Amino acid sequence: MSEPVIEVRDLVRKFGDRTVLNGISFTVEKGDTMIIMGGSGCGKSTLLRHIIGSMMPTSGSIKIFGQETTGMTPQELQKLRLRFGMNFQFGALLQSLTVGENVALPLIENSDVDPEIVDLVVKMKLELVGLTGFEHLKPAEISGGMRKRVGLARAVALDPELLFSDEPTSGLDPIMTAVIDQLTLDLTRKLDMTAVVVSHDMTSAFRIGTKMIMLGAGKKQGRIIAMGTPDEIRNSDNPEVQQFINGRPDGPIPLKLAKEDYIDSLIGHPRMNER
Amino acid sequence: MRDWFTLNAQVLYWLLVAPFRGVPVRLGPVFEQMVRIGVQAVPMTALTSLSIGITLAMQGAHELTRMGAASFVPDLVAMTILRELGPLLVGVVVIGRSGSAVTAELGTMKVSEEIEALEVMAIDPMRYLVLPRFVAMLVMLPALTVFGNYIGMAGGWAICHFSLDMETASYIRRLVESSHPMDLYSGMVKSVVFAWLIITISCVYGLGVKGGAEGVGRATTNSVVVSILTMLIADACLTAIFFFGES
Repeated sequence: MSEPVIEVRDLVRKFGDRTVLNGISFTVEKGDTMIIMGGSGCGKSTLLRHIIGSMMPTSGSIKIFGQETTGMTPQELQKLRLRFGMNFQFGALLQSLTVGENVALPLIENSDVDPEIVDLVVKMKLELVGLTGFEHLKPAEISGGMRKRVGLARAVALDPELLFSDEPTSGLDPIMTAVIDQLTLDLTRKLDMTAVVVSHDMTSAFRIGTKMIMLGAGKKQGRIIAMGTPDEIRNSDNPEVQQFINGRPDGPIPLKLAKEDYIDSLIGHPRMNER
Repeated sequence: MRDWFTLNAQVLYWLLVAPFRGVPVRLGPVFEQMVRIGVQAVPMTALTSLSIGITLAMQGAHELTRMGAASFVPDLVAMTILRELGPLLVGVVVIGRSGSAVTAELGTMKVSEEIEALEVMAIDPMRYLVLPRFVAMLVMLPALTVFGNYIGMAGGWAICHFSLDMETASYIRRLVESSHPMDLYSGMVKSVVFAWLIITISCVYGLGVKGGAEGVGRATTNSVVVSILTMLIADACLTAIFFFGES
């Protein structure tokens, strides 16, 4: 087996005295589609931000393509980033550019290709996400779901070896979700691209994932509570995992304050601390 | 403050070092910014300079006529505009128009994750966003200042010609005779320094925005206030260096 594409060891990140990530370790092999699951606010996006190097961990190690990214100089990080694409949760398109220019941006800035070829690539990538003919619109003129798809087209513009996706299918209709899932499958299974997808859309997660991790909430904030293949997760006897993948309101994952705390907060208890 | 030094170092790297390592400055975005910062500010600069030229000449005419020295009005107008008010007022106009716009634009990009997206795409925001604005400002503010100087003196001419019955030719001769090249040069040096201060401060505040729309608003206010104050302090220092050292 060759070297893992991503290797995270004992990743810890604290914001003030709040520990958001607490000893995360996992590896992603080439061709894997790793799904990161977990409730809202459990640190999924934060974890992703650490892996792509836009946040630095309090302690721990992150290796991408065998290179340690913590403590990398901006130049080294930039070179590494040419090899992966990132699809942001809300697209993060440049508002001042058109859809086409947004997709063309990584090509124009990071390579010397001919404008005609750039044009061709842009059309191909937009066709992939079902947005042919939208090149000349500004991001403000298209819907949120479309923006997301443009973000995906931009992320794969340079044909990266590694694709990060932050909730690629939330806010899309079921058909479009299937299209995006199929696209991710095509890229990973046929082109051997590696993908890391943050998602809490369970249908989509089980469709594309080859490996899954679930982050805990509450007392287990920032820890991995389950890891494995989709089948292992589906048949997991961990009650929190079962509650999450089946979407049950009641279970071990605390979503509401305990009754005492709730009453305290309603009457404005003086010792009640803000979370 | 530290951000400001880092920004300066990085912009100077992209401007002076990187082109020799095969990463040239892109001219397209520079021209785009030059149009926004410079060309579109022409009407407002013209109005400001014209009104200040007229006002100066009126003030001068009123006082100097009483002392029988009305023929010195052009001297007053030329010196004040070239040395002081030209660069300063054009600076204020550009801070109000472009400094605030740069801060707000970069700030909005920051809060909507666009800056982060650029970084992840291996595009340096300094090179892609700050550098074109920096170059455009450094070229266009002095250019606007020269333009504003002309218009201001035209304003002075209007008063001299129509109110003091001065011939156009003698107004121009008086201007040329009374002003030294040093007057113009000092004003130009000032406007280059102002341009550098305005654009770096605007960019630092824009890139440093935290929080949402409120943060953008606060950063824009701060950037305008700090730009104006810094510009005034720099103006005092430069005046001291140019005109106060010798005496």
